[in-house]
Amino acid sequence: MRAAVQKLQLGEGGAIAAFVVPVLVVIVVFPLTFILLQAIFPNLGAGSLAEPFSRLADTFSDPRIGRWTLNTIMLGSAVVFTAALVAVPLGVLRGLFRVPLAGLWDVMFLIPFAIPPYIAALGWIMTLQPRGYLDQMTGINLGQFLFSFWGVVFVMTLNVFPVVYFAVSRTMATIGGRYVEAARVAGANPTIAFFRITLPLATPAIAASLLLVFAMAIEEFGTPAALAARSGFLVLVTGIEQKLSDYPIDLPGAALLSTILVGLAMCAFALQAWVVTRRDFRTLSGKPKTGDLTPLGNWTVPVVGFFALIAFLGAIVPVAAVFLTASTRTISGGLAWDNFSTIHFEAILANRGGAMQALQTSLGLGLTAAALTGIIGTLTAYVVVRHKSLASRMLDFLTLAPNTIPGIVVAVGLILAWTQPWLPFTPYNTIWVLVLAYCCLLLPYPVRYANAALRQIGTSLEDAARVSGANAFVAFVRIIVPLISPSVIAAMLLVFAVAARELVATILLAPIGTRTVALFIWRQFEQGSVGLGMAMSTIAIAITMTIPILVTLWMQRADNQPG
Amino acid sequence: MPAPTATSTPVNVAGISQKFGDVRVLNAVDLDIAAGETVALLGDSGSGKTTLLRLIAGLARPTGGSIHIGERCVADARTGAFLPPEARGLGMVFQDYALWPHMSVARNVGFPLEMRGISKAKREPKVREALSMVNLDAFADRQPGTLSGGQQQRVALARAIVAQPSVILFDEPLSNLDRHLREHLVVDIATLLRRLGMTAVYVTHDHSEAFALADRVAVLRGGGVLQIDAPEALVARPASIAVAEFLKLGLVLEGEVDSGEMVLGQTQRLKPPADFLNGSRTGHLFVPRNAIHPARNGDSALRTTALHSAFKGDGYAVQLQLDHGPILDFFSQTRIDKGAPVDLTIAWERARWFPSTNTHH
Amino acid sequence: MHKFTALLLASAASLALTAAANAQSVTVYTAGPADLIEELAAGFTAETGIEVGIFQATTGQMMARLEAEAANPQADIVISASMDTAYDFGAQGLLLDYTSPNAENVPDFLKGENWVVQGISALAIAWNPNSGTPEPTDWTDLTGEDYRDLVTMPDPAQSGSAYELVAALVANEAIGWELFEGLAENEMIVPGANAAALNPVLQGAKAVVFGAVDYISFNSQQAGESIEVIFPASGTVIAPRPMMILETSQNQDEAKAFIDYVLSEEGQAMVAATNLMPSRTDIAADRPLISDLDILDVDPETDRAATLARFAEIFGIE
Repeated sequence: MRAAVQKLQLGEGGAIAAFVVPVLVVIVVFPLTFILLQAIFPNLGAGSLAEPFSRLADTFSDPRIGRWTLNTIMLGSAVVFTAALVAVPLGVLRGLFRVPLAGLWDVMFLIPFAIPPYIAALGWIMTLQPRGYLDQMTGINLGQFLFSFWGVVFVMTLNVFPVVYFAVSRTMATIGGRYVEAARVAGANPTIAFFRITLPLATPAIAASLLLVFAMAIEEFGTPAALAARSGFLVLVTGIEQKLSDYPIDLPGAALLSTILVGLAMCAFALQAWVVTRRDFRTLSGKPKTGDLTPLGNWTVPVVGFFALIAFLGAIVPVAAVFLTASTRTISGGLAWDNFSTIHFEAILANRGGAMQALQTSLGLGLTAAALTGIIGTLTAYVVVRHKSLASRMLDFLTLAPNTIPGIVVAVGLILAWTQPWLPFTPYNTIWVLVLAYCCLLLPYPVRYANAALRQIGTSLEDAARVSGANAFVAFVRIIVPLISPSVIAAMLLVFAVAARELVATILLAPIGTRTVALFIWRQFEQGSVGLGMAMSTIAIAITMTIPILVTLWMQRADNQPG
Repeated sequence: MPAPTATSTPVNVAGISQKFGDVRVLNAVDLDIAAGETVALLGDSGSGKTTLLRLIAGLARPTGGSIHIGERCVADARTGAFLPPEARGLGMVFQDYALWPHMSVARNVGFPLEMRGISKAKREPKVREALSMVNLDAFADRQPGTLSGGQQQRVALARAIVAQPSVILFDEPLSNLDRHLREHLVVDIATLLRRLGMTAVYVTHDHSEAFALADRVAVLRGGGVLQIDAPEALVARPASIAVAEFLKLGLVLEGEVDSGEMVLGQTQRLKPPADFLNGSRTGHLFVPRNAIHPARNGDSALRTTALHSAFKGDGYAVQLQLDHGPILDFFSQTRIDKGAPVDLTIAWERARWFPSTNTHH
Repeated sequence: MHKFTALLLASAASLALTAAANAQSVTVYTAGPADLIEELAAGFTAETGIEVGIFQATTGQMMARLEAEAANPQADIVISASMDTAYDFGAQGLLLDYTSPNAENVPDFLKGENWVVQGISALAIAWNPNSGTPEPTDWTDLTGEDYRDLVTMPDPAQSGSAYELVAALVANEAIGWELFEGLAENEMIVPGANAAALNPVLQGAKAVVFGAVDYISFNSQQAGESIEVIFPASGTVIAPRPMMILETSQNQDEAKAFIDYVLSEEGQAMVAATNLMPSRTDIAADRPLISDLDILDVDPETDRAATLARFAEIFGIE
């Protein structure tokens, strides 16, 4: 009987797998294969498979690689550590307690994602360096701190902590407070209850989101390059970018170095998988529970203070720096009254350089990428969670891999793949190649989030739907999707925010004549028009944030409705 | 009532109020629970019973009044004194069990002991003993997720009693189980409580559970205690028409007094004994189920018609409709056909007259 | 699920609006000023009716894209910020021979059989007069105590022109590596590419860029920034921007027409307007021209990797 049931489920999950696998092959496997082929065959771009492995020796004989790898691991670990330190408590508080202004914090913590990392780094530089905004306003100069290893960790943590925050808060809300209450009555004080009950239960979600953070941290180029390179702290991505940034271009070398990053990510993935399999709990059973949030009582003020501090550092400071730069006529004029001006905004509104077209394209790309990754990610996670096999484990890693490879290398892979002459049709040089790129790069968010949420849902809920007459698809859509939708929507908002401002892959892949927000900003920076670029950033952040704000309001209304 | 053991403790709730925003959930409730006594808090959802339990547990802070467990003041809204739940030395069984899914059954049960600083070696026999009390000896190493609902609830019970708390709290522990299991577990819990002699507070919306378990039952409605009494006394002497109606103790009819006779809906006239109708013009008649009998000829009778009749093995469950409309459930030893007229008499010595509240009583 | 679908359709529709097909067209891959290529394209289309598709990035990104799509080349014209591109592509036989009739007034060292220069930038010292430091006149001034911890320089590993400056200066026996050792001693920082080196000087965190790209600094100055462009007494290097037509181009006539347009008086005036030096000697500009500058020679035989490694070692950025 039990065997029969399992067989039945496998058969029907197979239908979803039959959809997911080819889609992942097109989105992920195809470009990644070409990166790997490029690493092996140096002349792949010209369509030649001559001299395989010829670049292996001289690429890896570079004595700096060892140090870069170590630095990369150090940076990734440090960012994971500090992101956990900041975001796990925030997420727990948000998920279990009645935090005043909860919706506001959710929106605020999405802002770091809407700010491109290179802009955030520039914002911090302009705020903290000598004669920076902080120095001009208060006489305090924190340049020493900013341009150090811990400065990089600080800025990167503020960029990526929302990944952990949203994962933990959604999971916590699903788990609810009753396990903690049981522990409190059993004699555990709040600290013990947290470490013995709450933390272990949230471990899968925390581990999954920290894995994402690690992957993002080892892949990020702009921040370490802008802040720590001057003090001699270089990472693998620096080396990869160098191989792609100046004469002679070294595609195979970049591809080979990328394989080290993928290797590091595989180790992190294995660690995460080990943590998660050892603690695979179904906390969401069919038993109804109250979604009551615990009041904070005397802790209200310190907790709100904590949220406000992180929102201030993660969202307000970078946005303020961007806005101040956009609102001053010249940088060298500083924060003087006669230097404030709206000329940069006027230039944007006058549609200089196709600003409006860029905004429209970016929003469209963000929405499309969010919708597609949401659907594909949910289905992939479903296949991975419900069918535990080596194949599904590989599928799982596959959706993480692109996140660990620098965007520029993924872009190279996409070009190599989609310009193959034997293809009957190609999205290359159309806007859809950008959609493919964003799906490839950003699929990990919905997959990780949906994966963590699915692991908490017992199969009984689905079984109940099946018994009630729903087929596998209907049960999935009507039961599973609504239950994991808070997590998936959170992930889709992240995807939207990132896709609407992605630069690194976009530069290389942009179809002829396409303008996006990030390209527009970057071109202004390249020409030295920092103020104009920052004005565009301000407008883009404001417009990009309206969609998450609307979604948050809508979800709150849905939450507040009875039943 | 079982003799209080050395560990059991009285619980005193004095003038407890709880407000959520503008909503008053509990309104100056007093409750005295003797050491070793089991009190059931019985009420519909929204009656405030669960809130009262959570206040005793320390899972919420009262906005008014005080709670003492033994000599210790655990919460006092006036002084702001508040003892967190872990310092109250309680056991608690939750409606949804709340077994920690990442711990084995034995680790779940051993957790309260661990929190009390008991060494692993000393914990083990206690855990085994607690599990054997709920007949789950063989399940110590299982994960909670692999157990049935009834088994999970017994693990929760073992976890609540393992540290021999002075007070044990139950929050509708059986409401997620089927009737058969429920009846079974009620007996188990009652037996266990009597054997251990713990003070217990048991929240339920099910009368039969409350009556089966409790030494005294507190009936709650709208954030206040309507009556607290032994189950037998509640049934025999409900303090108000509300209690009688809530407990579905029997027939409740609105009536008027007219020259020594009771008029029910204009058509029915009954003649109760002389001192039955004390004073007032209007009120409610309450007749316990066991005080209603088929009438013999000549009795002053309540005229009804049979609406529906179902054979129940040892008799017939019949729905009777009074001439002026109200419906009454009646159990008859003999067959009554649908549509047949049935006259009933009332054993007046067991019936009560509740005069309307605008007159003093 | 239907919400997803609706969202998807809506976004797809909005994307479809932005995609357009071109009839008669030429595709230009270009490094350098976005405004310039857009003005040139608009002028060219107005004159000839031929659409121009533009891909604009840094030289490195452009080269990466060209190399990755080598199996299926998309570009007709490449405009690079580095002469190496022209020499390298020429040697590989990737370029179409073409001499524009408008190249007559382009000096010989700015054109070849299959390439011709669009415009030229030079490296300079960019100095913030509000920094409270004395105005520098030569590279070696920046090793002085006045500029301690106040100098930035673009990373030669990320900027081709910065590399050429290093190569040219160290080859000069009077200057050599001692200059860079002195700069390192004086706490000069190497924060990244060109923009990253200029920004701290604009805000005042630093005072001087060693090897700033001149036209970007001129543009900043025109936008009101407090910045002076100084061409050092001992000379500097220039970065000519070669234009070339790819052999694989399917639109060779249109591509030739585009090159002609860029080299026309109108096109060269646009180049001059962006503060690049026009490659034609008969076009006026509001800035010093090649003839006004002392140009340092770069030996093409210099060992690039060794030079970069030595530089990185001196500044501790390995």
